[in-house]
Amino acid sequence: MSGSDQAYLNTRVTLLSLQLMSPETITALARLPLAALAERLGMEALLDDASRVTVRRRVLEQALLQTLLNEMSLLARPMIPMHRDLVRAWARKFALSNLKTLIRGKLYALDPQELHAHLFELPEALRLPEELPRAENVPELLRQLESGPYHVIARQAREVYEQHREPFLIEAAIDQRYYAEIQRRIMGLDTHHQDALRRLIGSELDCVALLWLVRYRFSYRLSPSETYYRLVPSPRYLGRERLLELVNLDSLEQVLAALPAPLATAVQGCTSLAETQQRLATYTLEERRWVLHQSQSAIARALAYLMLRESNLFVLFAIAQGRLLNCSDTLIEQALELVEPQAAPLERRAA
Amino acid sequence: MFSSTAIKHIRLLVLTESLPLASLALAETESFHPDTRAPEHDGLPGTPAHAYRDVFNQAQARLNKIANLIPLAETPPLDVLRAVEFDELNTLNTWLGQIWEQASAYEEAFYALDEAERLASEHEVLLDNFAELNIDLGRLAGRTRFLAFHVGVVPRENLRQLEDAAALAQHLLHVYLYRGDTAHVVLVGPTDDDATSPIAAVLNAAGFQPLTIPPELDREPDVLRRELAARHREIAEQRAAKQQALAAWGATLHEQLLAARKTLILAEPLVTLDPSLRSAGRIAYLSGWVPTRALPDLEQRLSTLLDLPFDLAVRDPRPDERHLVPTLSVRHRWLQPFALLVNQYGIPAYGEIDPTPLFAVTFLLMFGSMFGDVGHGAVIAVAAWLARHKIPTFYRFGIFAGLSSMAFGVLFGSLFGYEEILHAVWMSPLHDPILMLEVALVWGVVFIIVACLLGIYNRLVNGDWTGALLERHGVINLLFYLAFLWGGYGLASGQGFGTLPALVASGSLLALAAFQWQHLHAPTGEKALVVVIETLDTVIVYLSNTLSFLRVAAFSLNHVALALAVFTLADMMGVFGHAVTIVLGNIFILVLEGGIVMIQVMRLQYYEGFSRYFSGTGHRFVPLRLRQPRPPSA
Repeated sequence: MSGSDQAYLNTRVTLLSLQLMSPETITALARLPLAALAERLGMEALLDDASRVTVRRRVLEQALLQTLLNEMSLLARPMIPMHRDLVRAWARKFALSNLKTLIRGKLYALDPQELHAHLFELPEALRLPEELPRAENVPELLRQLESGPYHVIARQAREVYEQHREPFLIEAAIDQRYYAEIQRRIMGLDTHHQDALRRLIGSELDCVALLWLVRYRFSYRLSPSETYYRLVPSPRYLGRERLLELVNLDSLEQVLAALPAPLATAVQGCTSLAETQQRLATYTLEERRWVLHQSQSAIARALAYLMLRESNLFVLFAIAQGRLLNCSDTLIEQALELVEPQAAPLERRAA
Repeated sequence: MFSSTAIKHIRLLVLTESLPLASLALAETESFHPDTRAPEHDGLPGTPAHAYRDVFNQAQARLNKIANLIPLAETPPLDVLRAVEFDELNTLNTWLGQIWEQASAYEEAFYALDEAERLASEHEVLLDNFAELNIDLGRLAGRTRFLAFHVGVVPRENLRQLEDAAALAQHLLHVYLYRGDTAHVVLVGPTDDDATSPIAAVLNAAGFQPLTIPPELDREPDVLRRELAARHREIAEQRAAKQQALAAWGATLHEQLLAARKTLILAEPLVTLDPSLRSAGRIAYLSGWVPTRALPDLEQRLSTLLDLPFDLAVRDPRPDERHLVPTLSVRHRWLQPFALLVNQYGIPAYGEIDPTPLFAVTFLLMFGSMFGDVGHGAVIAVAAWLARHKIPTFYRFGIFAGLSSMAFGVLFGSLFGYEEILHAVWMSPLHDPILMLEVALVWGVVFIIVACLLGIYNRLVNGDWTGALLERHGVINLLFYLAFLWGGYGLASGQGFGTLPALVASGSLLALAAFQWQHLHAPTGEKALVVVIETLDTVIVYLSNTLSFLRVAAFSLNHVALALAVFTLADMMGVFGHAVTIVLGNIFILVLEGGIVMIQVMRLQYYEGFSRYFSGTGHRFVPLRLRQPRPPSA
C-alpha cells in the first residue's frame, strides 16, 4: 500500500470513527422509547405494527449488518488485495454464521422457509456457495460441504449427523478455522502492519482462547488434549506453550491465576465464567480503541474501527430488540453490560 | 438505422387468475420489456406472483439437480402454449421433491463409493510405504499390553495442533508420508479404552481416518495387493451397477421430467414478471415498454388468449421518464461486431443517435489509412474468416478491417511493405508526409464538428434546449471551435488571427463562462477559479483534440518506416536470413503495429467522438420471452 493510499485510508477511518458511540450516548439511547429510537436509527419499519416482532427484529438486524458491510466495502476499496482479503476474512464470520444456522437447521429438520429467513443477506464476495442454502436434506448438505471450501469440517459434520451428536462441535470447528485463517493472513503481511494487527487480533484471540478453554475444560468437561486441539493459539499472550500449560490446570481459579500479567489484571477477582467474559470484553474494547487511535497501520486501524462499529451496532440491536420485546430498562441495561460493559449506566458500573 | 425504435409505455390490468395466460401472451410476442417501478397510485399492496415465484424457484432448482444425474434436454421444443396455474406448479414441485429424494440417495451412494475408493488407494500407499521397512508391521495392526498404535490419514492443516494435543494425551505422532492435502501418520501411546480415551476424541476432532494394517502384511504383500485390486474392481462393479440402476430409473422418468421441464419453461415468464406485478384483490397491475410497431400484435395476442376481461392503456414516455425507456436498436447484422465495441462504452439512451453505423465507417477509414497494406490486410481478413466458428459474432469485424487495410494498401501501393510490386493508385505516405498530416488534420476537424452536431441533435431530441445551446460541446462551443479554426487558419496562412474570429471566439467563451457561473453552487472565489479553469480547458481540449488526429497520418508513415526498418535488417543477412527477417518482421508489424493502431483508433472514437455526442446511459430492451423456439400458436 502506497503512502498516499495509507493516508487516504487513515483519513477515511478517522472520519468514520467520529460516528462511534461513546458509553454516554449508548446509555442515553438505552433510555429512549421505541418511537424515538426508530427515528434516531432512521428505521420506521420498527414501528410497523402490521409486522410481527420477529420480522421487525430481522429487518433491523439486516439493516444494521448492511450498514457495517457498506462501511467495510468503503474502507476496503483503496486497500491492496492482501489487506482487502484480510478484511473479508474477518467479515466472513457472517457467512459462517449462516453456515452454522444451515447445519443446525438441517440437522434438526427445521422448516426451510423459517431457516432461510434466519440467514443474513450478504454481498457476493462473502456469500456461501449458492448450492449450500439450496440443499434440501442433511446428506445433500454434507455432500455440498464435502465438495466446497468447507470440506475440512464436512467429515466432522457427517460424524455428528451419523452418530446423532450435538452440532456444537462442528460450530466450534468452524470458529477455530475462522480465527486460524485470520491469523494466517496476518502472518503474511509486512512487519509494519503485523505488529498492530497482532495486538488487535491477538487480544481478540487471547480472550477467545481463554473463554473456550474455560468452557471446554470446566463446562463441557473435555480432556486437556481435546481442549487444546480445539483452541487457536494467539500471537500475543496465550500462545502454544502457555495454552499447553493452562489446559492441564483443574479449576477456573487456577487458570486465571496462571495468566500472564495484562490478562491477569483484566480478570482479577473473577469467580465465574460470565464475569470473566464481561471483563475480557472490556479488555478487547480497550485494545481495539488503542489500535484505532494510536496505531500507524491503516489496515489495523480500519479493522479496529470495523470491530468497534460492529459492537456499537450490536448494542443498538440489543436496545431496539429490548424495546420491541417490551423489556424493562433494567433488563436492557443488564444486557448492555454483557455486550458493551462500559455502556452500562454509571451507577451500575459503580455498583 | 441511426435512431432507436419508438417505444410506448403500456399499463395492463388483468384479473389475477389470468396472470399465467397474460404473461404467456406477452412472452410470446417477445416485445414487452417489464417496468419494475411501483404503480403511481396507491392501493396496490399485493404481490400476486411471489408465492408462484418461490415454488417455481424450488422446482427449478430440484429439476436442475435431478438433471445432473439424469441427462435432460435444456430447452426441449414446446408442443403447445398453455398457462401453468399455481396448483399445477405446486403439484409438480412436490413430485420433483420426491424424485430428488430418490436421486439424492443415488448421489449419496456414489459418494460412499468415492470414499471407499479413496480409502482403498490410501491403503495401497500404506502398503507401498511399509512393505520395504524391515520391521514386523503385524505389531502395528493391533495393540499390545502396554502400547496402542493408530495408523491413518489426517488433513495436513490439522497436523500441528494434533501433534501437541497428542503429546498432551501422552502419544507420539510420526508423519511418514505427505500426500496431497493429507498426511499419513502413526500415533503411539499407552493402551487405553478406545471409546473413552482422550486420544480418540482428539483424533475424531482432527478428522483422523484410520487405515487398518492387515495382520499378514509382513508375510504376503502380493496377496494383499491382489486383494486391494479386487476391492477396486468390486467398487468399480458396484459403481457400474449403481449407474445402470440410475439409468434404468432415469429412463422410466425421462418423459415426465421432460414434461416438467416444459411446464417450468411455460411458467417462467410469470416469474420474470414478479418484480413488476402488483395487485389489489383480484385485480393485477402490470406495466412495461413495447415498441410502437409491435402494439397491434400484442393487443391481438392478449385478446386471443385471455378469456376474462383486461384493460390495456398505452401512452408515450413522459419527458421525466425518458431515461428509463429501454433502447431497441435496429441494426444490420454486418454492424453487429461494431455494436459490440460501441456497447463497451455504453448503450445509446432512448432517442439518442445510435453511433454504430458512424462508428463502423469512421473506424474502417481510420484503421485502413493507418495500416494500409494489401498483404497485411489480406492476412487479417483471412485470419478472421478462419476464426469465424470460434468468434461467430466478431469475425466480420476482422474481415472488414482487413478489407479496409487492403483498400488503402492499393491507394498507397504497399504489399507486405514492398512498394515496388504494386503501383500506388494515390501515393506512398512517405512520399509527401506534409500532405498526409494536412489530410489527417482536416479529417480530425470534420470528425469533431460532426461529433458536436450529433451531440447538439441528441440534446434537442431530449428537449434539452439550454444544454444544446450552452452546455459543453453545444452550439456556442461549436461556434467557438469554428472561430478558433478560422483564426488558426489565418495564423497558418500568415494573415494573423483576425479580429472577427477573435471576437466570436472570445464572445462564445464568455457566454460559456457566464453559463457556468450561473450553474455553479459554490463560494465566489471557488466559482471564479472553476470557471477560469474550465474556460481554459475548453480551449486546450479543442486544440489538443484536433491535433490528436495527426496520429492518423503518423501511423500511416510509421507503417512504411517500420517496413523500411525490416528491409534494412533483412538486407544485412544472407538469403535465408533475409527471408526469415522479412517473415518475422511482417509478423512483428502485423501483431504489434496492428494492435497499437487498433487501440489508437478506439481511443480517437471514444475520447474525441463519443465523449461529445454519446452519453451511453441507456439500457437495453430485454423483452420477456420463452426460453426456447416459439411453439405453433394455440
